[in-house]
Amino acid sequence: MKIIQRALFYFVLLIIVIYLLFPFYWALNSSFKSEAQLQMMPATFIPIDPVTGKISFNLINYRSVVENPEFLRGLMNSTIVAISTTLLALIAGSFAGFAIGKLRFRGKQPSMYIILAMTMFPQISVLTGLFAIINTLKLEPRFGMILTYMIFTLPFTTWVLAAFFKFLPTALLESSQVDGATFFQTFYKILLPLTAPALVTTGLLAFIASWNEYLFALTFTTIEPSARTVPVAIALFTGYIAHQEPFGEIMAAAVVVTVPIVVLVLIFQRLVIKGLTAGSVKG
Amino acid sequence: MLKSRLARNEEKTALRLLLPAFIILIVVAIYPLGTVFYTSLTDKGFASTEETHFVGFENYKRLLSLTIKELPPKMTLSSLLDEHTAKQEVNPKTGELVYEKAINILPREPIRYKELIQFSLFGKRYVIGATDPDFIQAIGNTLQFTIISVILETILGLGIALVVNSSFRGRGAMRAVMLVPWAVITVVSARIWHWILQSSRVGLFNTILARFGIGGGQIAFLSEEIWQVPSMIIIDVWKTTPYMALLLLAGLQIIPRELYEAADIDGAGKVKQFMHITLPLLKPALAVALIFRTLDALRVFDLFQVILGSREYSMATYNYFQLIGNRAMGYSSAVGVIIFILIFVFAVLYIKALGVRSGE
Repeated sequence: MKIIQRALFYFVLLIIVIYLLFPFYWALNSSFKSEAQLQMMPATFIPIDPVTGKISFNLINYRSVVENPEFLRGLMNSTIVAISTTLLALIAGSFAGFAIGKLRFRGKQPSMYIILAMTMFPQISVLTGLFAIINTLKLEPRFGMILTYMIFTLPFTTWVLAAFFKFLPTALLESSQVDGATFFQTFYKILLPLTAPALVTTGLLAFIASWNEYLFALTFTTIEPSARTVPVAIALFTGYIAHQEPFGEIMAAAVVVTVPIVVLVLIFQRLVIKGLTAGSVKG
Repeated sequence: MLKSRLARNEEKTALRLLLPAFIILIVVAIYPLGTVFYTSLTDKGFASTEETHFVGFENYKRLLSLTIKELPPKMTLSSLLDEHTAKQEVNPKTGELVYEKAINILPREPIRYKELIQFSLFGKRYVIGATDPDFIQAIGNTLQFTIISVILETILGLGIALVVNSSFRGRGAMRAVMLVPWAVITVVSARIWHWILQSSRVGLFNTILARFGIGGGQIAFLSEEIWQVPSMIIIDVWKTTPYMALLLLAGLQIIPRELYEAADIDGAGKVKQFMHITLPLLKPALAVALIFRTLDALRVFDLFQVILGSREYSMATYNYFQLIGNRAMGYSSAVGVIIFILIFVFAVLYIKALGVRSGE
């Protein structure tokens, strides 16, 4: 009886794993198929040669992806935008988070509520307004993205870091004050190093959120295609080989951009899960 | 003396530290929101040379106006001559009764109403007309998408969380696997699913379904209207269920084990334990996860834009289309305001419901 129960349990587990991973497996599988292999009916679960029926992996999609200038430029733009966004969100967020989490001042409650409310702010609602500003001021689109990505990164980093600062012992703050240090000195000499894990967590989540962003990136680069980020490049992918939608190349591009993120997430697994759930389980 | 100086000092530092964050948020969120509210009351176009006029609530009226009209039956030609033998015309092919064309019944002034949907009730035929049927349809699509996907994600997420919460070998690896769909860029997952859902047996779904004798490998998931929104739901559920599961798992892990042990001693079954211990104690985590997911789903953009483009809209993609495709800034601003209000209302309702619970 126990054994059957155990077997059943692992069977359910297996189904969950398959459900979570099969689309990614399918992308991987398809990325190694040539155009002829992709058009085979029924679709095959590993790349096989349409004539001989033998297993045959094809690297042509990867070759054309790494030679695609638009895709490479997208990777570079995304890296620039995501890293700058993360840094800016961490700097402004740790300042504000420290004030809210550790200092006493009038208007603390309202500031907290404003930040919390801002974490749910719908970006789409200000799309038209931001587009107008960027066009009137002739802002560089990448700069525009970095600035506007603050809408969804800054409130979140502030909120999580504030919760973190709150749990650091106040004794630290007081003893350094006795030593004659200003609040600011206490902040970046003593408290900031202690928050390194929280900074890594929130930074990683901010990075992934900016790497993922599509709405603003698509809208702001309509007039300047050279500033397109990876999601926009992949959404607008038109292949060099095929005239119809080049799904083989798209799948190869999908694998290329997904693997680093997945590796990054798996390395920092514990921190990521902590950060994701920080907002939900009230501290 | 010293203390009050310190306190004043602390206050000053706090405000100085908050300043950068608040300036940034005012510049990128509060100010643009204000301009969007104002622009929504004008007929402003993008990069147009025409003068902008203040039009009041005209954009909103055009977006949201609905009307219901009864469609009179279409009479046969002979019945026009003789009222006693009045008979309704019948479609010779389908055998269905024929009614007057909706376009002749719906009002045209001051704005033209277009047909949204027809339905029969108590033997009478009605038509619902809208001045902007695309937007009404977009609201319908978005609500349908939001409600169904959030319900499915909650049920599936809770199931996965419960399974992973029990102790077994490889639990760490399982949690890692759960992060994979979340880590895939939304646009990329849309493209992958676009390929999986191809309308012939080059696609995975049609290949598998055809093997079970369903659909003959010809189901057009993404171009047939009845399949479009359900396909979006399938994709979104795949991508966000693990996230939901992680949030619920965190909630499950703070429930003390002793409660279950005590229930075991009292002889309460697993179902009873779930209903009386797990569910009530999971409520806060569940509520927060629901808020996050619902507000997220209401503004769905990436999936609809990448896969369906202009064939079928969500509220957000309609906003984008009006701005970029139609260059109608005033009109798209009004769409943005409507989305904002809708999300605001949902948030307040949820928080009210939450507040009541925590006060009990």
